[in-house]
Amino acid sequence: MLFLRYYLWIAPHLLLALVLVGSVRKGLSRQLPIFFSFVVFELIQFGALFTLSVLAATSIDRYRWVAVLGMAISAFLILAVIFELANDLLVSRSSLTGVLRPLLRWGTAALLLFAAIACAILPALGVQRVLNMFQVLDFTSSLLQTGLLLSLLLFSRALHIAWRSWTVGIAVGFGISASINLATAALRTEFGRSGFIAVDITQMAAFHVCVVIWLVYLFLPERAPKFAGRGLEKTQMEFWDQELERMVRR
Amino acid sequence: MIALVFALVGLLALLLIIYLAKGHHATGGDLDELAARLKPVDVSAFRNLIDEREEEFLRERLPAPEFKNIARERKLAAIEYIWSAAENAAILIRLGEAAKQDSDPAISSAGEKLFENALRLRLYAFKVVPRLYLGVLFPSAGSAPYAVADAYDTITRQVVMLGCLQYPTRGMSSAL
Repeated sequence: MLFLRYYLWIAPHLLLALVLVGSVRKGLSRQLPIFFSFVVFELIQFGALFTLSVLAATSIDRYRWVAVLGMAISAFLILAVIFELANDLLVSRSSLTGVLRPLLRWGTAALLLFAAIACAILPALGVQRVLNMFQVLDFTSSLLQTGLLLSLLLFSRALHIAWRSWTVGIAVGFGISASINLATAALRTEFGRSGFIAVDITQMAAFHVCVVIWLVYLFLPERAPKFAGRGLEKTQMEFWDQELERMVRR
Repeated sequence: MIALVFALVGLLALLLIIYLAKGHHATGGDLDELAARLKPVDVSAFRNLIDEREEEFLRERLPAPEFKNIARERKLAAIEYIWSAAENAAILIRLGEAAKQDSDPAISSAGEKLFENALRLRLYAFKVVPRLYLGVLFPSAGSAPYAVADAYDTITRQVVMLGCLQYPTRGMSSAL
């Protein structure tokens, strides 16, 4: 069990380092700079926590506070990445801007409110402030991430628009990790301390899956959709363009 | 109990994310087959369904319960028309996307505009349909609010345009 825990802690971060190198080499760090910052931060956080865990002199409380602080920064960065993914979706699609931006803003506000209510209802983990902060952060960030990513994916699906495969990969990776974290964060409050290890292992496994998905999408060649047939003639297309523009302007 | 509910919500979200992610790979396809999937829309029938004067006429002539039933059915029919237009828009989005990849800059630019405008129409349909469903729930709440009536007018024009896609040489002037 100990081996599994260490594996699930270390291996995803080694793979994350590969994601970092791959995204720099492919120039994707310029395309999604916030995601790049998130990856760098995750690696620094892992280094700090790992060092603290092997230092015999470190108290458990200090380790916990560093973990909570790291989790808060990480949650904030993930939210920023989701907004960055939404911007990527909006590139060259000006008609979406007016709808997607308010949707995300209001979605975030509604989810925050909902998370605050839910945190008040869920049982507390213990008397220690650090543990309760950890629980609130874990649950709130998972709920926000899951809700916003689902909204983005549903939005693009409903409108039949495609993302670049790399950005889909990032969204799906975060989505899988966040939804599993949401389920397990809620269960952590139900089972209390006895369920900590099982919940940790599940969340670490989810992050492992998330990083593997990023790696796969990173090294897959970008596939442009292939079309066969003639479709619309240029004259037909211009006709429809003019008509649509006239109608949209009214 | 509440924790189990959230655990279930998390699992459902996971399944939905996986399902939606699979859909993102289904791009491309046969353009001729796509164009053949465009559905003709009977514009004059649609205009009749959303005509406020027609609704007022029915309200004055029919007993209230009967009017409610008919108004509800008319709105449901209008929703079907709008969905057809929205489906046509979804096809136009893909046709526009394909045209955007064309090496001819003129076609690519025309495709870009077609894509953008079809996207607007689909967004518009998503905004109007919930309001129409509200009308189905409360048929006696009076005629459509001004904004909705305005929206009807835009949708009518857009449905006309999309309905004409398969028959570019007829329909537009007579329908408007």
